[in-house]
Amino acid sequence: MNPLIESAAACVDHAELYCVRQHEIVVRYENARLESINETDTSSLALRVIDGGRLGATYGVTPDRAGLIDEAKQAAVHGDPATFSFAPDAAYPAVANFSEETAAQSSEDIATLCESVKERILSLRPGLPLKMEAGTAVRTLDIGTTQGADATHRSSEAYLWFGAPFAGAGIGLYSAVAGVSPLTRPDEVIREFARWYEWSETTSTPKTGRLPVIFAPDASSLYLLPLWAGLDGDAVEKNTSPLIDRIGDAILSSKLTIVDDPLRDDAPDARPFDDEAIACQRRVLVDQGALTGFLFDLRTAAAQGTVSTGNGLKRALFGGGTETAPAPWPMSLVVKPGDSTFDAMIADLDEGLILFGGLGFHSGNYPQGQFSIQGVGFHVKGGRVVGRLENTMVSADIYTDFANVHAVSREQRRSFGLLNSVAPYVMVDSLQVAGT
Amino acid sequence: MKEKLSRIVTGSPADYTDLRYEENRKTRVSYRGRALSEVASYATFGGHVRAYADGGKAIATFSQPDRAEAMAASVAASARTAARHRDKPLRLAKSPVVDEAFPISSDSHPASVSIEEKLRLAAHYNDMILAESSVVTSETDYDEFVSRRVFVNSEGSVIEYDVVIVNVAGRIVTKRGGIVQRVRFAFGGNEHFDHVVGREDDLRRSIEIACRLVDAQPAKAGRYPVILDPSEAGLFIHEAFGHLSESDSLQNNPAFRARLKLGEVLADPILNVSDNPTLAEFPGSYRIDDEGVRAVRTPLITDGKLTGRLHSRETAAEFSEPLSGNMRAVDAQYTPVVRMSNILIERGESTFEEMVSSIEDGYYLVGAKGGQTSGDQFTFGAQWGFRIEGGKVGPMVRDINMSGELFSTLKGISMVGDDVTFAERGGCGKGSPMQLNRMSGKGAPHIKIDEVTIGGVA
Repeated sequence: MNPLIESAAACVDHAELYCVRQHEIVVRYENARLESINETDTSSLALRVIDGGRLGATYGVTPDRAGLIDEAKQAAVHGDPATFSFAPDAAYPAVANFSEETAAQSSEDIATLCESVKERILSLRPGLPLKMEAGTAVRTLDIGTTQGADATHRSSEAYLWFGAPFAGAGIGLYSAVAGVSPLTRPDEVIREFARWYEWSETTSTPKTGRLPVIFAPDASSLYLLPLWAGLDGDAVEKNTSPLIDRIGDAILSSKLTIVDDPLRDDAPDARPFDDEAIACQRRVLVDQGALTGFLFDLRTAAAQGTVSTGNGLKRALFGGGTETAPAPWPMSLVVKPGDSTFDAMIADLDEGLILFGGLGFHSGNYPQGQFSIQGVGFHVKGGRVVGRLENTMVSADIYTDFANVHAVSREQRRSFGLLNSVAPYVMVDSLQVAGT
Repeated sequence: MKEKLSRIVTGSPADYTDLRYEENRKTRVSYRGRALSEVASYATFGGHVRAYADGGKAIATFSQPDRAEAMAASVAASARTAARHRDKPLRLAKSPVVDEAFPISSDSHPASVSIEEKLRLAAHYNDMILAESSVVTSETDYDEFVSRRVFVNSEGSVIEYDVVIVNVAGRIVTKRGGIVQRVRFAFGGNEHFDHVVGREDDLRRSIEIACRLVDAQPAKAGRYPVILDPSEAGLFIHEAFGHLSESDSLQNNPAFRARLKLGEVLADPILNVSDNPTLAEFPGSYRIDDEGVRAVRTPLITDGKLTGRLHSRETAAEFSEPLSGNMRAVDAQYTPVVRMSNILIERGESTFEEMVSSIEDGYYLVGAKGGQTSGDQFTFGAQWGFRIEGGKVGPMVRDINMSGELFSTLKGISMVGDDVTFAERGGCGKGSPMQLNRMSGKGAPHIKIDEVTIGGVA
């Protein structure tokens, strides 16, 4: 048990100590030149207490700072009555996503990978103003409670992100790969990048109206974040979720099955417990279009008279971290693959769009299942890509428009964005498009 | 402390080293509906060190003060590693050595106010919101950030400075049937606690809008002329143009550097835009940046022509342009990036009535709701709006996002209002990792744009 928890046990009724340590090395390239080498060596902690039946919290850098327990105890004087208890002693599932090799990587090792990737990309696209970032991170999370929880997990991540602005433009095309172990040059991803970048050499704007849309894995956040907002136990508690009382109902197309799976050993963000030391679990949230469950942390579960689903995370839509109170978030969403292929979807389109991103997601009414974004992707006509989208807005209500999914691909991969989900290509029958 | 830090940077084997160390106190009171979800007041600390050697650059952040010396040695070595992979050395523009303190004082400094008073204030505003029957829930946050910073560099600068900001902000959530709407409110944005007190009338106006919005119709997709209110116009100039005036966005994009040469005509001569950290008491007001450079006003667009840019020492050297003092970091976890201070569209001559009467079929968009930009493409939302038909303001509309391309949209600004207003709450996300900085101000009058794309499910 952490000495701070032992000390807290003598001063307050209950306590929970969250400590995270992170060491990270990042190598950044701009315009095909190494820009900087960045190193992070940080620790931070959050101490929550229940004292006199009230909840209080404080934050800091190291557990030996004087006054931490007093600060939390003082916060509890003003805090609301505690409606839940901290995690008890528990067994956690095994998640093996730490690599000693990744932890041992140096900035020179990472720069060597970057040089190899740069050489390959520039051989396919000479003169490209390549932006690239590669790095390694080792993260150790310890959570203890006076109720006996003693959770520790160490994970590692190696990642590579690269791309370039489109010729003559500021907006661009970017790809990424990540893993638990050190990366090798991702030649297949580089080939796909080069193919898509070639598609972007001309621009095209569709006419205003309804058109079919293919969502690439990197665009999956556009429909998964509105879905999260509906599954959020806090929105259920506050009576703002559009999914209240809809367990068992068809909310999306029967072609879509969506699972929250934080236990995959190959995933850098996999973990055995959440930020409240509650065991993580693999849960189906949408089964062939039907709603099967919500996401709860300790507080929202207590408010709904149920138990935490192990989804309490210290995160926010942008950012989050140690100083953020836990809230219900998906741990790692996986959209199940289907039986189509990306190329078959394109060939099937008389006219439509491919989206691999969108600008302005957060200024739409996503808590109600909607998005209205500037589409980042391609315009397809007669079964072939005719150019990248320009000045085109795409809007949807996922609970209406994603009831009609035309196809889901066999190809599936990790996406990088506001949610690190794993998703296939998903083709929706028609969405509202504002173009020319 | 500052003597020890100075010894570390002057003893570094790198060509240039700087180090920033911070002690930060944060106070937060958060209501979520009836629940007081958090009350916390706490201290954190941390450091950031940066080195240039042989034309390469390395950066490190750390949380333990006793790691400062080791991290300075580490970045010196990493900067040399970085230099081996560069064919063009990085340089820093010359900047005067500064040995000075820049404290912030206030008759109502938040540190002088008890936590009980901050709690009462947040509870009072939250109760006002929840008293309205159409309100389904609320978010009310009191946020206070008091930062004492020490900056030293190997050239001899030793600077102590404060960053202080107080905000009360939140969302009013209303519901009717299946329609849920959110309207934001925000007070403060500077070092004075008394600026967040006594704002009941402002809050009532926001509550009234939120209650009306659930009965509004959604915006209809298409291309329209629009009038942006000062809040939206401030967001527009921040997102669409301001980020491209930040030279680190241009530094490595040859296409944009070619398009954004000083003297280029970007807009009608009615448009004037500046960045001004020296204005007092706005969210982006300061006297010294996080690179030890004094803050100055920078005219960005003058009579429609590009006349200036925002710089770090590195980008000023790269562009051979004057320093502007715009390198800022949210806190010690982050490296500074070039970012706007207070960006301002300066006052024009048109009245609101003249703008409305010039539009046959369009929208009046009100209340910034966040946005995103990537190069010359931008998208941002409005909290609410109104149809304009036949030169008259019509019914309220909801769920509005607009997008466009910077260069054509700037040229499409055909009227600039005679009424400048500054947003009290700053905000800007930039960088990797993303730095959400509340200390970025936006001011503007009403403006008319001849055509933008409006998205919508209708």
